[in-house]
Amino acid sequence: MWVWFAKLGSPKWFYELSTKWLPWLVVATVVVIGTATVWALLFLPPDYQQGYTSRILVVHVAVAGTSLAFFPLMAVAGTITLVWKMKLADMVAKNAAALGAWFSFITLATGSIWGSVSWGTWWEWSDSRLVSMLFQFFLLLGVVSLRSALEESDKAAKACALLSIVGCINVVVIKYSVEWWNTLHQPASPVSIESGSANGPEFWIATALMILGVYLFLSLSLILSTRNEILMRERRSLWVQELMSTEK
Amino acid sequence: MPQAIAKPTTWSAFMLTLKRDLLIAFKRKNDIVNPFMFFVIVISLFPLAISPDGDKLAEIAAGVIWIAVLLSAMLSMDSLFRADFEDGSLEMLLLSPHPLFFLVLAKNIAHWLVSGLPVVIASPLLAYMLKLPSESYVTLMLTLLVGTPTLSLIGSIAVALTVGLGSRGLILAVITLPFSVPVLIFGTLAVQASASGLPTGGYLTLLLAILAASLSLAPLTSAAALRISVS
Repeated sequence: MWVWFAKLGSPKWFYELSTKWLPWLVVATVVVIGTATVWALLFLPPDYQQGYTSRILVVHVAVAGTSLAFFPLMAVAGTITLVWKMKLADMVAKNAAALGAWFSFITLATGSIWGSVSWGTWWEWSDSRLVSMLFQFFLLLGVVSLRSALEESDKAAKACALLSIVGCINVVVIKYSVEWWNTLHQPASPVSIESGSANGPEFWIATALMILGVYLFLSLSLILSTRNEILMRERRSLWVQELMSTEK
Repeated sequence: MPQAIAKPTTWSAFMLTLKRDLLIAFKRKNDIVNPFMFFVIVISLFPLAISPDGDKLAEIAAGVIWIAVLLSAMLSMDSLFRADFEDGSLEMLLLSPHPLFFLVLAKNIAHWLVSGLPVVIASPLLAYMLKLPSESYVTLMLTLLVGTPTLSLIGSIAVALTVGLGSRGLILAVITLPFSVPVLIFGTLAVQASASGLPTGGYLTLLLAILAASLSLAPLTSAAALRISVS
């Protein structure tokens, strides 16, 4: 088991393995996201209250659910970086921060577009999910800007690992405090995403498919950007130079 | 007695760090006075920007004071480790045989005494200027008394992470401000509750819980962060 664990930390091993897996992952991502998108945007029956705008929820719910996975992912990768000093974990964490910020941004954007029709407003402070997602977005941007401010990569790796662990705890604290702030200000908020659950099972199957697709997309982009990072950081090692000369 | 100086206990090291930091703070008054003046000036700008109308001001008073506290705390945090980093005494702290988190805690306490406590003491005056209902003064002071050390403790993590950077005013803001959301929420909620005659015990207890958590975890995290950035 420990041999496998040690292997996992080797950028070269990861690069070679991911080269084999990559075509399959690309095919799976394209098929799943393609099916879910076509289904959601063209064939999903309009909601009896929201009309066709409910279709954007398929994308929104999938991206929002996935964006919550970033801080735990970064905290785990950060712990691995701090404890076992595994280079690969930091390469994944580095790209996860920026990717997570994008996912949070897309969640906020699709939510606003949906809200502009269904709630009649682009932004609503009284919904706690909006506010905590906004602060998750800010916290992820904080990790990204700390990474870009610290140039030295070993120091940046450890500092960002620590910030990700603290941030992961903080996202949870913020979520609960915002929820409490909200319920005390506006008891029983009538607007909630759950109101869309009156939709038929097609809606949830399409959403489930989209969630799977977004997770596949997430792994694909993480793997691709990690591969870039490996080539960048290991550019002086023999195997990268051999690889580059054979590809030319 | 050279032996006595060569082997101080952890407690005396704690007290020495505290005394040293307080002494430095009083010799270098700008680092204390400027964030405090910033706090007072920001608050006095709000009535000019919004309205001199007492009712409107009373409604936003708690929020304005808390935001001003957050911003001035962030500005004063900047000086927590910087001078020590520049003259090398921070490395001495790292090399000392005593647990680093304990010494970091001493620095935090000294910093709070010179930057947080004045804000707490001055808050009723500023609350009066913002027409906060007088029954909220005690709650405001209590929340600030519990909230400002929490802000210092949380902020010191970010300061420790960025201590080696040249220009870090803005990155400190980007990292610390989202972290202070829970303190801000419970602090302002308590003051608003007291203004409308509701019990405030629950909020104060939550603020104390956050203080207890950050008092026990933040110095450890800051110490780890210092070891990362000074190496």
